Amino acid sequence: MTDLSADTAPRRSARTPRPLAPAKRFLRILRPYLYLAPAIACFVVWIYEPLAQAFVLSFQQWNLLPTSPKTWVGLDNYRNIFDLPKFWQALGNTWYYLMGLLPLAVGLPLVIALFTQDLPARSRNLYRALIFVPMIVPPVVAAAVWRWLLDPNHGILNLGLQGLGIEPVEFLSDPSIALWTITFITGWKLVGFATLILAAANAAIDESLIEAARLDGATKWEIIRDIRLPLLSPTLMLLVLMVVLLGAQWSFSYIHVLTEGGPLGSTTNIYYLLWQFGFGSLSVGWSSASAVILFVGFGLLAAALFALKAKVTFYDD
Amino acid sequence: MMTDAAKLSPMRTRRAPALASWDTAVGHALMIFVSLLCVFPIYWMIVTSLRPSNAIFSTNLWPDAASLDNYAYALQAVPMTRMLTNTFLVSLAVTLVQLLTGILAGYAFARWRFRGSAILFGAIALTWLVPLQVVMIPNYLLVARLGMIDTLGALILPHIASAFAIMLLAQSMRSFPTEVVEAARMDGATHWEILWQVIVPNLRGTIASLAILIFITTWNEYFWPLLLTRSTENSVVQIGLQMFISSEGTQWGPLMAASTMASLPILLIYLLLQRQVIASFMKSGLR
Repeated sequence: MTDLSADTAPRRSARTPRPLAPAKRFLRILRPYLYLAPAIACFVVWIYEPLAQAFVLSFQQWNLLPTSPKTWVGLDNYRNIFDLPKFWQALGNTWYYLMGLLPLAVGLPLVIALFTQDLPARSRNLYRALIFVPMIVPPVVAAAVWRWLLDPNHGILNLGLQGLGIEPVEFLSDPSIALWTITFITGWKLVGFATLILAAANAAIDESLIEAARLDGATKWEIIRDIRLPLLSPTLMLLVLMVVLLGAQWSFSYIHVLTEGGPLGSTTNIYYLLWQFGFGSLSVGWSSASAVILFVGFGLLAAALFALKAKVTFYDD
Repeated sequence: MMTDAAKLSPMRTRRAPALASWDTAVGHALMIFVSLLCVFPIYWMIVTSLRPSNAIFSTNLWPDAASLDNYAYALQAVPMTRMLTNTFLVSLAVTLVQLLTGILAGYAFARWRFRGSAILFGAIALTWLVPLQVVMIPNYLLVARLGMIDTLGALILPHIASAFAIMLLAQSMRSFPTEVVEAARMDGATHWEILWQVIVPNLRGTIASLAILIFITTWNEYFWPLLLTRSTENSVVQIGLQMFISSEGTQWGPLMAASTMASLPILLIYLLLQRQVIASFMKSGLR
């Protein structure tokens, strides 16, 4: 960079006086910001300013109609939400979704990735291509297809169960099952993707470490426990982090298309509750207050997980 | 190398071939099961969509008499062609705009040191911590103030920039060989010319896989259209699908036909560019 400016300086001086004109210098300082302006403007207008606005709205009462007044109610919205059984139910459901999603989107992919590492490359590529399909399918299509497969009267799954002499299962309208059905569909979308991420990390492990352990007489299980798992821990933590922070968001489409939060609120998670407050019952204050609670809650959770990730993960280099 | 291989290979074979093939068999069995689980629903969607209406509840794994009746019905029951066109236009526009803003912002981060660059980069990276549901009401109000509820423009505007595109492009521009850039500088090229004539053509692989990712993500998007569209004419296909679902009785044939049409462009892209699609999704993390 230094010899470059030394080289071009004489040539430039032929055109412009050596110390840059103030306007030009100003432009030079401004230049990076000009390149960034469209992106920054987008994030300010659509994310950060709305975030601040949601914060302000959470202290107000309003029904989304431009003509009706906004009234300042202080902390009332927060107090009301914390008194609402529905809120605690949704929070509990969010927890169940996560607990169901972790084995599907992290545990199972880990097992598959470890079990399939020695398969011949050609069949492994075929499997990779197949298990990735759910990831790219539109979520609404996934919801529609699973609704069809799980239909109590004509769905192929229930017909199969009937063939085995089992009563048809109300996968989406039984309050004790519906949440797990939605969790399963969310996990179905992710399993192939997570497997590929873990398989890639697994394949990147230095073979000489494995070979050395094998020469020392380590069993396959010992190699997995003492070498592969510690070396996979950064990737595992990353997946856990993503599932925890984004899992509840991913299920939104399935909840909305398949159950609309029911039956009896049994599939309503915290994101769906926000939607119901805001656009179901038009209570902007409640929706915003729960948005703030959610944002702060997940922000703290993210910070904790990042701290944990830094502590737990183990790198070989 | 030779001696190493000679030393190691007996180790491998001594670990009883029977055990190795048992492991392989379990691996295959597991993968076949998971592959079927992943692909069967999509297969079943296509098979159902091709059944004539009197055989819609058939459980044959193969459609006996293929018929396009469900497609014809779906196309005339809702403005399906219009919705598919809308979805395509929105996805294309978002892809182009996000690439443009990403390339510009990526270049700024990669090429210059400037006051606040770390803070700005951090602020961009942190946007993924803000879920759409948290900002949906202010966003809705803004679109309403702009008079853009129920327009295709409203589906594009919030997606003008994406944090992932910016970070990926900044990263690949940082690793772009500086000698090439400096050579161009010596020839008197401006930054603008270097960006578009030297860097962008050389990063076309990265840009192409990013474009695929943005296109698929936008095509599949549901939440934002749900919030902002009202009429079927200005809707996207993901919203259109919902019209075939009702609690009283879903029309399974047309719903599966519409679902097939809604995923066909994505499945075609995947069929043609499978490796790039997988690679670009893996780079993006789960978003």
